[in-house]
This record gives sequence, structure tokens and C-alpha cells, in this order.
Amino acid sequence: MQPLANVTRLQPASRAGSIQIKNVGQVFKTSTQSVEALSDVSLDVKPGKFVVLVGPSGCGKSTLLMMLAGLRKQTSGTILINGAPIVAPDPDRIGVVFQEPSLFPWLTAEENVEFPLTLRGVDKAERRRKAQEALLLVGLDGFAKRHPHELSGGMKQRVSIARGLVQDPPVLLMDEPFAALDEQTRMTMGDELLRIWAATGKTVVFVTHSLTEAVYLADEVVVMSARPGRIVDHLTVTLPRPRTYEMLSGDAFGAMRDRIWRHIRKSA
Amino acid sequence: MIGSLGLKLARFAVVLSVFALWEVLSRTGMVNPRLLPSASDTIAMLGQLLQRASVRSDLAVTASEVAVAFVLAVPCGALIGFAIAENRYFAEVAKPLLFFAFSIPKSIFLPMFILVFGVGFSQKVGFAFFSTIFIVIMSTTVAVDSVKTEYLTVARSYGATTAQTAFRVYLPSMLPVLLETVRISMIFNLTGVLLAEMYASRDGIGHQIATWGENFQMEQLLAGVLMIAIIAMTFNELVRWVETRCSHWRT
Ligand SMILES: Nc1ncnc2c1ncn2[C@@H]1O[C@H](COP(=O)(O)OP(=O)(O)O)[C@@H](O)[C@H]1O
Ligand SMILES: [Mg+2]
Repeated sequence: MQPLANVTRLQPASRAGSIQIKNVGQVFKTSTQSVEALSDVSLDVKPGKFVVLVGPSGCGKSTLLMMLAGLRKQTSGTILINGAPIVAPDPDRIGVVFQEPSLFPWLTAEENVEFPLTLRGVDKAERRRKAQEALLLVGLDGFAKRHPHELSGGMKQRVSIARGLVQDPPVLLMDEPFAALDEQTRMTMGDELLRIWAATGKTVVFVTHSLTEAVYLADEVVVMSARPGRIVDHLTVTLPRPRTYEMLSGDAFGAMRDRIWRHIRKSA
Repeated sequence: MIGSLGLKLARFAVVLSVFALWEVLSRTGMVNPRLLPSASDTIAMLGQLLQRASVRSDLAVTASEVAVAFVLAVPCGALIGFAIAENRYFAEVAKPLLFFAFSIPKSIFLPMFILVFGVGFSQKVGFAFFSTIFIVIMSTTVAVDSVKTEYLTVARSYGATTAQTAFRVYLPSMLPVLLETVRISMIFNLTGVLLAEMYASRDGIGHQIATWGENFQMEQLLAGVLMIAIIAMTFNELVRWVETRCSHWRT
């Protein structure tokens, strides 16, 4: 690994929200065997981009996201966010949205959103204000006092997104956040997420196994191969924004979907 | 809840009929009243007993034994349970052994407690502690296992310290199961103390009840049984009430 000072000097122009993944690998060692989950993954994400990771199940997408979040240490390579290495979870730089069920059922929507601020000892009035703001942004301002079991699946994920945004980190990581939702809710949530993304200018790294969702949401789609996960394609989605439902049936959309599908079929 | 009042009334009716049946069986002589004094006489006797200084001091002795055993057994068991659940190796070693230990009837160890502690306060507390701790350990491991790893990952990703994780994730997440543990362990605890008192003792309500039984004082005996039943049920309902208040978020 390069010395830290060196690395930062190499990236003088990196702005808030940039992600640089360099030759990252991950090997899981159990008592009986070692599994190579990721091999030599390199990826550059420009600030404010919406990047979607797709790939066959078990190819290491979650693992990569965990490493970006500082929740797991890579076995090789470096990861820089805002030009500085990630060595531990850093809520100032990174917000994470997990798949259900990651809201605390004993807290209200509002308290769940406040949770990251509570951990840092932010005073109550300030916490409330920021949580209200975040809930308003995700369109849930009337539901602050509800507990998660009183919310629908889509609403729960809105709360999760609000929790991820409450500290205003430049990067938002999302691991299959809509996988548990029904088709219609999923489409709506996609549009909602794009609206929130446009309003906040975050860099988003989004994992999904839905190719339609990938093309619909992304600026760039990164396609990974089966284990050990490598990047096999990296395509720029040229569709204009805002994305509309009509684009789904267009030729450009279909062509991109097919291109991704061919990679995935090959490696499955 | 629809018909919940109806259900309550039905339950009340069942209890009432049991007492009525009891009264009738005894009053009509279908069951020898010397064996089964009537419900009304028993309740009257219960009122009398509660006036007696000796009974009150017996109750106080039992209560203090129960309290001390409980206050020792629950935190000790919870700590051991927590340690087991959090340590993979320790868990692999200890869990089956705990199940073995749990399956042995605790009462057969009573003579040993008398040999070690003599007859007295520490014998009761020791035996009740011993009767209670296994269930506390086992329930705590269940409680810890009930904390979803997703919750811990969330806490970690937002930079929670160990103490914050303990108090803001583990504790609230485990609270419903822990209260359930408190409730069940009290049953074991009370059983332990009463058994120890009935087996060998100079005081305590368990000892008193055993004595009434030996002397064929059926009215006092039944009144004593009624008294213990009411105390146990009251505590049980109290914890259940706290449980429902604390776990309103559980669906
Ligand atoms: N903690 C772990 N120990 C061992 N193997 C793991 C661990 N976590 C993930 N893996 C393995 O690494 C591979 C990638 O997993 P994951 O990142 O969850 O895949 P994806 O999210 O793309 O479906 C899988 O084969 C999985 O079995
Ligand atoms: Mg995954």
C-alpha cells in the first residue's frame, strides 16, 4: 500500500463524493478453505454520479459495498473516498441504506432517522430539525411518530434513505434497497430516489439484481462476473434525464439491457 | 380487539364456577369438609392469617429470601448468558452442558445445600439461586441471539461505540425477551425458596404451609396455597403489563 500522504498528493483535485477503487481484492478464509470473492476490482466514480452495480448473485457486490462503507477490510488494494482512504465506518463521508429490515422496530420513524445524530451526541432540538428535514425530503413528513411496523415496505425504505442522508454525507451506498418491494412500489421508489438524488447531488452506488432498474436509474452501470467478482463491463447510460416510464420500451433501453444480460448469462 | 370483554367475562365466569363448585362440594358434604373446607371458610381463614404477626413475619422471611436470590441470580445469569452468546467457542462448549444441567431436577440437590449451608437463610437463597440461574442463562442466550445482525451492522456503519451498541441496540432489542426471562425466572425462584422451606426450615411461609399440612389443618393449608397463588399471579401479571408497555412495537 502507498503511504497515505503520497496517495492524497496524487489526488489533489478530488472533490467531495469521489470514489476511487484500485486493484481491490477480497479473500474470505474459513477454517477449511479460502474463497476469493473479489479479484482486482478498479473503479473510478466521479462526484455526483449515480452508479449501479449488477452481477450474478454471490459475485461480491455486497462485499464491495461493505468495503466502501468501511465495514469490512479489503485483503488487497486501496479504496479512497473524497481522496482519503477508508479504514473504518465514517458517517461523515458515507451513508448506507440496507435492505429491509434494518430500521430499529423500537424507535419511531423520526427516532430512526435521528439515530446517527444521537450517536454523536447532537442535541435534541438540532436532531429533530435535521430529522424533520430528511423526512420531508423523502416525502414522509406526516409519519414521524409512526413505528416501522406501522409503515409500508416502501415507506420503511424512505425512512432508511432519510437516515442515510441525515448527516449529509457526500456518498450514499445502497445495497438492493428495493429488492423486498413489489413491482409498482419499486418503480415509484426508483423515481423518488432519482428526485432525491437530483435534489441533493450525492454520489450514489446502488446494487440491484434488476437490469431494468439498473438502466433506468444509472449514469453508469458496472457489470460484475461470477465469483471471483471482476468488472467485465462498464457502460454509460446515455438516456436523458429525467428518466420516464416510456423510455423502458425504447430501443436504446433494450439494447443496454441486452448488453448487460449477455455478460451475466455468460458468467452464470 | 373484538370480543375481548366477552373473553374476560367468560374467564371470570370459569374462576367463579370453580369457587362455586368448591363451595358446593364442601357444603353438601359430597367431599368430606374436613378434607376440603369450603371456599368461603378458606377465604375467611386467609383474612385471619394475614392478621397474624407470625404469618406476616414468615411472609417477610420468604419475601427477603426470594428477593435476595432473585437479585443475585438474574444479573449473574444474564452476564453468563451474554458471555456465552457473544463468545462462539464458549458457546459451543457450554450450551449442551447447560441443557444437560437444566434437565436435572434441581430438588435432588436440596440435601446437599443443607449439608453445605445448614438450615437457614443462605440455604434457601443458595438453592433458589441454583434453581433459577440456568433458566436465566439459557433465556439470555436466546435474547442475545434474537438481536438481528442487521441492527448491529447499522449501528457499526454509523460509528456506534461498544457502549452505544450495548445500550442503544442490544438492550432495547432484547428487552421483551429479558422481561419474559424475569417473569419465568421468578416462577423458578419462588418454587426454589418454597421447596427449600418446606423441606427443612424453621421459618418462612413454605415451612408454615408444610406444618399446617402435617397437622391436618386443612383450612390454613388451603388459605396458604391461595395466598401464594395470588402473590405469584400478581407478580406475573405485573411483569406482563410492563412487557406489553415496553414491546408495543412488536407485532
Ligand atoms: N463473511 C464471509 N465469509 C465467507 N464467505 C463470504 C462471506 N461473505 C460473503 N462471502 C462469499 O463471498 C461471495 C460474495 O458474496 P456477496 O458479496 O454477498 O455477493 P452478492 O452481494 O453479489 O450476492 C459469496 O460467494 C459469499 O458466499
Ligand atoms: Mg448482496
